[in-house]
Amino acid sequence: MSDHELRGDELRGEVKIEELTKAFGEVVAVDGIDLHMPPGEFFTMLGPSGCGKTTTLRMIAGFERPTSGRILLDGVDVAHVPPHKRNVNTVFQSYALFPHLDVAGNVAFGLKYRRLSKDESKTRVADALELVQLGGFARRKPGQLSGGQQQRVALARALVLTPRVLLLDEPLGALDARLRKGLQVELKTLQAELGITFVFVTHDQEEALTMSDRVAVMNGGRVEQAGSPREVYEEPSTEFVADFLGVSNLLSGTAATDGNGNCALKVGERTFRAMQGAVSTRGEAKAMIRPERIVVEQHDTPGDNRLPGLVERAVFLGNSFELHVRVVGGDVLKAFMPNDGTAMPAAEGAAVTLHLPAEALRVLAPSPAPSEHAPEQTAEPVVSSD
Amino acid sequence: MRAWLRNPWGQPRALVVVTGGYILWSLVPVVIAIMFAFNAGRSRTTWQGFSFRWFTGPVGVFHDPALQGALKHTLFLAVICVAVATPLGVTLALGLQRWRGHGAGTVNTVMLLPLVTPEIVMGVALLLLFLKVFPGLGLGTVPQAIGQVTFTLSYVVVIVRGRLVSIGREYEEAAADLGAPPHDQILRVVLPLLAPAIIASAAVVFALSIDDFVVTQYLAGGASTTTVSMLLYATARGAPTPALNAIATVALVITLATLSLAFFVYKRFAGGGDAAVAAAMEI
Repeated sequence: MSDHELRGDELRGEVKIEELTKAFGEVVAVDGIDLHMPPGEFFTMLGPSGCGKTTTLRMIAGFERPTSGRILLDGVDVAHVPPHKRNVNTVFQSYALFPHLDVAGNVAFGLKYRRLSKDESKTRVADALELVQLGGFARRKPGQLSGGQQQRVALARALVLTPRVLLLDEPLGALDARLRKGLQVELKTLQAELGITFVFVTHDQEEALTMSDRVAVMNGGRVEQAGSPREVYEEPSTEFVADFLGVSNLLSGTAATDGNGNCALKVGERTFRAMQGAVSTRGEAKAMIRPERIVVEQHDTPGDNRLPGLVERAVFLGNSFELHVRVVGGDVLKAFMPNDGTAMPAAEGAAVTLHLPAEALRVLAPSPAPSEHAPEQTAEPVVSSD
Repeated sequence: MRAWLRNPWGQPRALVVVTGGYILWSLVPVVIAIMFAFNAGRSRTTWQGFSFRWFTGPVGVFHDPALQGALKHTLFLAVICVAVATPLGVTLALGLQRWRGHGAGTVNTVMLLPLVTPEIVMGVALLLLFLKVFPGLGLGTVPQAIGQVTFTLSYVVVIVRGRLVSIGREYEEAAADLGAPPHDQILRVVLPLLAPAIIASAAVVFALSIDDFVVTQYLAGGASTTTVSMLLYATARGAPTPALNAIATVALVITLATLSLAFFVYKRFAGGGDAAVAAAMEI
């Protein structure tokens, strides 16, 4: 093993999860998921609490034994290897720094099992602390550090062992917003520098989008969609993904072909052309559009894919306005208007026309059918949208 | 008076009065008993001047062979009891915390039984055990030690488990994650974190052992196995002198010193905040 510097072997650190299931008694926390985490990538599991992301992470770490399925670490199935024999390390949500040891003692904890000389392990502890910019803190106790500093110690303690994969369980969850932003950037930079595979768990969609190379959106123990941040945001394949990743507007209607290979979605009296997503869907279907893609126009502007409405609320967000527009048929659509000084901010009660461009309107595939592993589990968990 | 008691903005005076009254009531007899240990005369009721004669005089605690023997035997039993009950209790607490599934609940309840069993029942039961089941052992120091370990063990388990619950499993997981095999997870992480609770429970066991009368009395096997509490009981009905108060004072000082030490250690190193342990220490 190349244990001499704080740098993972760039060719390794690949995690493949196959048909992984974890049941706690009657409750299926992880329901036969497949995931591929390529070496050297920043991989994020994103989802609401109870979606199985943390259980999956704990199975990769070795704290939970899978009910069935395989966890391949660089091609070797480690599903039933105890945690102290896996070359993966974890940064815990609450850091779990040993309170009876000082910072250096914490960082040096795992080096005992690496058969290093005293000098060597001293050097590596110092290097690791430098890496997380805590050079002068070696003799402090964890209780004397701020939340952000504790987080860095936890990071150093794991990275000093040059793991092939670093697991991070909502490591920024306990920090205030400002500190979070700073550490998000730092973590991402660190990951890119070290080339270690990071497997990150969060329920914060913004965090997931800004940091990751790849995001797996999870819900009810299943993976709804995995892909690059842009893919999952701009091309959500299910309603859940569309809704969980930011604000989205949904239109329900009947899908038919428009004769040009696109979808014509009939919503009430009106028909909208949709060019994105599962355009070959027929019958009952849903389409989504992001609020920032809706164009707010003067009332009675003519054209396709337009519908009139009344502004119910106009929320000032600083750089933009969020308009809640009640359209004909009774639905409320949300639209963002940039605060660029040109557009007339629509006041509450004003009549406007919303343009839903066909190239921004996305037909959603129905949510995946319940798995064959748990056929009795027909009721999908209730998803709270924001 | 009523207006003075009803003071919604300051400290709740009615509660202060009740609390103060209770403390006074419980302390006064002890203070009087201690005071007469320093009486110059033979009376335990009439103050005849201050003196150390009942401690250092020719018939004082430090010279009377019976009193001395009792003190030595008491301390000897206490040391044995701490040496056996503490490690055993820590092991049980760790085991119970890890034991999931069938039987765990039952064992849990059984562990707590000695805390609620009247001591006299326990004493009689143990006496029968040593007389009928293990007659070879006879009565005396060994049965006394076993008896004391039997009931003090529960206190160790309760105190240590309280601490285990409050520290949680995450530190062990962190240790495992960093490569520590199971025995190192215990030695390098769990035991250091438990240290305050272990020291506190050792002190509680020590104090309980010194104070114990019922079990120790039942399992005693003659004059050489008399403890301070037994001696106090026996002489209180005979012709007591202030020497009795003196020995009671010595026992009290030892108990208080141990408990204060335990409390200090726990406060200092566990950061306080453990209601379960605090409650257990009050017992």
